[in-house]
Amino acid sequence: MQVAIAEDSVLLREGVARVLDDAGFDVVAECENADDLMAKVRSVPPDVVIMDIRLPPTHNDEGLQAALELRAQHPSVGVLVLSQYVEVGLAMKLLADSAEGVGYLLKDRIGDVNDFVAAVRRVAEGGSALDPIIVSTLLARQRPDDPIANLTPREREVLELMASGSSNQGIADSLVITVRAVEKYVSSIFSKLGLPSTGTESRRVLAVLLYLRS
Amino acid sequence: MRNPDVGAALGEPLVVALLAKWLTVSYILCGLYAWWRRPESRFGPLMVAAGFANFVSTLSWTTNDVTFTLGQALDLLPPVLFMHVFLAFPSGHLRDSFERALVASAYVAAVALQVTRMTFGGFFGPHNLLEITANEDAALLTLRVALLTMSAFCLAAVGVLLLRRRGRRALRRSRVLLVDAFAVGLVMIALLYISAAFDGPAVRQIRWATFATLGLAPLVFLAALLKARLDRSSVGDLFLELHSEPAPGDLRDALARALRDPSLQLAYWLPDYECYADLQGQPVELEDLDGRAITLIDRDGEHVAALIHDPALQDEPELLDSVQAAAGIALENGRLHAELQARLEELRGSRARIVEAAQNERQLLERNLHDGAQQRLIALSLNLSLLKGRVDGDPKIATGIDQARREIAASLNELREIARGIHPAVVSGHGLAVALEQLAARSPVPVDSRVEIDGRLPEQLELAAYYVVSESLTNIAKHAQATTARIDVAKENGELVLEIVDDGIGGADSERGSGLRGLADRVEALNGRLRVWTPRGGGTRVRAEIPCR
Repeated sequence: MQVAIAEDSVLLREGVARVLDDAGFDVVAECENADDLMAKVRSVPPDVVIMDIRLPPTHNDEGLQAALELRAQHPSVGVLVLSQYVEVGLAMKLLADSAEGVGYLLKDRIGDVNDFVAAVRRVAEGGSALDPIIVSTLLARQRPDDPIANLTPREREVLELMASGSSNQGIADSLVITVRAVEKYVSSIFSKLGLPSTGTESRRVLAVLLYLRS
Repeated sequence: MRNPDVGAALGEPLVVALLAKWLTVSYILCGLYAWWRRPESRFGPLMVAAGFANFVSTLSWTTNDVTFTLGQALDLLPPVLFMHVFLAFPSGHLRDSFERALVASAYVAAVALQVTRMTFGGFFGPHNLLEITANEDAALLTLRVALLTMSAFCLAAVGVLLLRRRGRRALRRSRVLLVDAFAVGLVMIALLYISAAFDGPAVRQIRWATFATLGLAPLVFLAALLKARLDRSSVGDLFLELHSEPAPGDLRDALARALRDPSLQLAYWLPDYECYADLQGQPVELEDLDGRAITLIDRDGEHVAALIHDPALQDEPELLDSVQAAAGIALENGRLHAELQARLEELRGSRARIVEAAQNERQLLERNLHDGAQQRLIALSLNLSLLKGRVDGDPKIATGIDQARREIAASLNELREIARGIHPAVVSGHGLAVALEQLAARSPVPVDSRVEIDGRLPEQLELAAYYVVSESLTNIAKHAQATTARIDVAKENGELVLEIVDDGIGGADSERGSGLRGLADRVEALNGRLRVWTPRGGGTRVRAEIPCR
């Protein structure tokens, strides 16, 4: 699996490259800035790009703009954005109208090597990876007549994992339950929230996020 | 052309004679009066000269050879003199080298062409001392050339007058009418000459209109001079007006009325800034004023103010002097007002700079945290994680590493909150709308937010707006006991308007005051306003209006 990295801190860039290399990825490009990344992706599109949201020269929104451009121009390339702050507004901007092949994680998550590698793989394969903080912020969001309050604690856990992009298998592994049990929880959650059940896992990510955000 | 005398072209000999006498007498008398009233102006002497030259040209009616020849030679001079007087009104000076060249060549042409014509003899009769040969055809041709040349000069002068009228901003109204009257008079002379040159009919109406214009001109000048005296009575009105202590803003209008110059501008001297400024304290340049004149007003050797006015006022120095004298105290008040405004403006600027400097410091600090400690801690956590994979054997070491990584994660969380508190990088990076979404999502009180802004706004403005919303939501969470809150952000009439309303207990007091004070400072530094309504039991409404530059 081919991966390109854009990160201006050498320390982190090399760290991430090493982790992914160890995990069997083929690191095809290590870039310092967005322009360099875009050029490399154009010449040889990798399976997934890992990029910092704050990139030179101004460290403002070059990273995000590059990510949006990649999503629009190279839909087959997964885009995993790393940031030292996660913002609901940025997540919504990044996802726009699809959660396919996109991820947005706090940079801290790199330290949890196994989870991080799993997230990279998921995004590369067209899935999604949203930082748990985004999901929990949205879940904690206060709303009048909150249907979230009707969920059982277990359903809430499933919802959190589902919203951050985990597959049913992933949820089953995390909670040490069977996939069938996960499926039951998922359909119960959808009916309690009054959402129509959707097909793919990344589609349900978007549905849940939009629901939580509204 | 049976009797091609230029004077006769104007009409019946008796009328011409009377007109000539009238022009001579009235110009000389008006000129003397003007000379006496305004010794510093050259207009008086010019009028006297015009009257005298007119008199000399009437010598052509005498039978003495010398006086006849002299009078005939100067026969074409009167129209040039009218032209000169009209162009030089009211200062007695021509305005630029083009006008001087025009008038000088008109004088030369008037004499030279007439003298040339006289050398061909012809109808001039026996008293013509200049006759060399008798050639009527040549004389007639020269006459035509002379008449057409003179009318061309008159029309050129009309052009100058019209340009002058258009070019200058807001001529005083009486002056505009005069200029129009001069132009009409010169056009009449030109028409008359052209008609005479081609043997055409001397149209009665043109003739009488020309008489009227030329004959009335001295009266008009006299009236203009007398009006200057009348203007001084407007100084009395000014005294009365100033007695009722007008607001500084009304002083200019009062002066404009007293000076009869609606275009008048008033600038005050600010000694500490060593410049002139308007009432709002904005600097006023006294150079390159597009032909307008400046009168500096000083008191006890100190500058007080400057009047920027129609140059025509310079011919009425007494009026300017008495207006200045009348306005003394009021001008001093206006000066103090302007100085206060300039200081306020300066203060506002320095407050904005202080806020901005502090903001830049914080931004730098956040950036250093981001690029330094935060990156290092993440890399450290990553390395520990990799290390753990290589020391599989010893569970104690693995537990220790996990413990260390949890500490690092906690530090990173703390650092993130600190960094966000120092400077919300998301605002600078991604704009107000994105940042407000997170604030609303994180609020423990349900928030209904409507943010209607397209694109980015100036960074300082976005930051101020962010802090207003952030601080208000914090206050609502801590003190308001509200069940819901609403955020409205929109651009209205060039201002960013923020409103944060809750349905809590209201009565926000001083314990919340310091935060609000800081917000007000930020907002006011950007020339904005922050207001808070917080009736007891009636919720709290915070409204900020910040101009978008």
